Amino acid sequence: ETHTQYERVGADVTMKCGSMDWDAAVTWTANGTDIDESHLNGSYLILKNVDLSQSGQYSCYEGSSWHLKYQTNLRVGTPPKEPVLMCRSNNYPKGFYCSWHLPTPTYIPNSFNISVIHGTKDMVCEKDAVPKNRCHIRYLQLFSTVKYKVTLTVTNPLGKNFTTLTFDEFAIVKPDPPESVVAKPVPNNPRRLEVSWQNPSSWPDPESFPLKFFLRYRPLILDQWQHVELSDGTSHTITDAYAGKEYIIQVAAKDNDIGTWSDWSVAVHATPWTEEPKHLTTEAQITETTSASTSSFMAPPTTKICDKGAMVGSGAMAVCWTAGLVVAAYSVLFI
Amino acid sequence: SPTGDSWGIFTFLCAALCNLPALPALNCSEELGAGQSIQQTYDLTRYLEHQLRTLAGTYLNYLGPPFNEPDFNPPRLVRAEPRVPSATVDLDLWRGLTDNARLAANYRAYSRLLCYLRVLDGQVGTAELRHRLAHFCASLQGLVLSIGGVMSSLGYPLPAGPAAPPAGPPGAPAAPNDFLKKMDDFWLLKELQTWLWRSAKDFNRLKKKVPPAVVTLRLEARGF
Repeated sequence: ETHTQYERVGADVTMKCGSMDWDAAVTWTANGTDIDESHLNGSYLILKNVDLSQSGQYSCYEGSSWHLKYQTNLRVGTPPKEPVLMCRSNNYPKGFYCSWHLPTPTYIPNSFNISVIHGTKDMVCEKDAVPKNRCHIRYLQLFSTVKYKVTLTVTNPLGKNFTTLTFDEFAIVKPDPPESVVAKPVPNNPRRLEVSWQNPSSWPDPESFPLKFFLRYRPLILDQWQHVELSDGTSHTITDAYAGKEYIIQVAAKDNDIGTWSDWSVAVHATPWTEEPKHLTTEAQITETTSASTSSFMAPPTTKICDKGAMVGSGAMAVCWTAGLVVAAYSVLFI
Repeated sequence: SPTGDSWGIFTFLCAALCNLPALPALNCSEELGAGQSIQQTYDLTRYLEHQLRTLAGTYLNYLGPPFNEPDFNPPRLVRAEPRVPSATVDLDLWRGLTDNARLAANYRAYSRLLCYLRVLDGQVGTAELRHRLAHFCASLQGLVLSIGGVMSSLGYPLPAGPAAPPAGPPGAPAAPNDFLKKMDDFWLLKELQTWLWRSAKDFNRLKKKVPPAVVTLRLEARGF
């Protein structure tokens, strides 16, 4: 019969040839290769200070008849170290998931058991098929004052270990990054970039649980990021881009009130609009294009009519209104 | 675009100056008032939550260990009558609350929490703590009034509040010993914190459901 035998790295292993006597004449093989007699003590195979490379199939044959007497699968490994456990709610208020891994491999099979206690209640964390080492829980109650206690125990044939996490419902809320981030130049605006994105699809109820966003951008040639925090809306226009420079842009999300910021979204690149480069043309064409471009860059006439309905040019910041500077500041937002 | 610009300025001006009778063709009265006071109430809960963090830190230090330990996670002792209103609620139930029920739950909870906090105020030892508590109670009173204001502007009746602040917690027996009294205080602060988190979500939901009068406002402006 074949057995499996688990031993610790660095241990001394003694293998007996089944029920054979100590003084029987036997031959041992490791993965089909004969083992030198020096490792034998009678019919016992002695392996001192085993290492991972010594894992394999060990077989014992009776001396003369080459009858297979015993076979064992030696697996050299380690007992588990304290596992790393993480719990997070990226789909608040539906529930949360926990995922785990071992900091170092054990080289032998491990089994994981997770328990979740909420106050006095035991909850079931349903294991996910994919990815492995992950389970999820649905909230039955919301706005709980009692903490959740999650204990993960890892067991293998050489030992066991565990770790515990205790947290409030609110503390583990962290959305996934925003999706479909798009950055586009704005025609005829050499210093603008229009950025838009979508709520992460895992966030189930942005109506009742709105997200706020953090945008960061920089030209590729600089290291310093600029930041904008946005309390609502899924778009923003950058108005201070350096003309003609390629930008890298990322967005992060957070529940408006609780939890922590998501990771940064996938980075998008964009370059602000630049005027078409002028080609070599005939004199007539040159005069035509020159006059056209001059007129397009003329400042629009500033109206001194102090009406609510006054038009505001795209460059002009002046709004003639006695209500004060506050209005002027806000009107820029709507330009 | 030009029409976009003037529309934008127009909306802002209306919101900012809607109390001026001079603005024509605008109904900037009650409905917009409700929307604004929901926003104000929301802002107030966030401010209180921030204030509570400092207050709770100071108070728990005053109570001493283990109450001021970050890992302190005691089991909830079930008292004869729940002393403090709990924010904890079944998820589907919370979703299905009518606006009236949602507001009333908040109103009732903070009214009672205010009572208990005032009792606490009368008992604490240090002057600093008394000062902080008094300040917090004043802000909390403002929140109760703000919620009441929202309910009135939406035409909902105010729930019958607790009577004048009691000498002790109404109905519930006084804690039999010093440690259990401290536990009561600990849970009071926890429930208050949880309610402030919940209210942010309650008011977010209410914000989205502000009466369609706001839509009417926009249509009027476009025709202007």
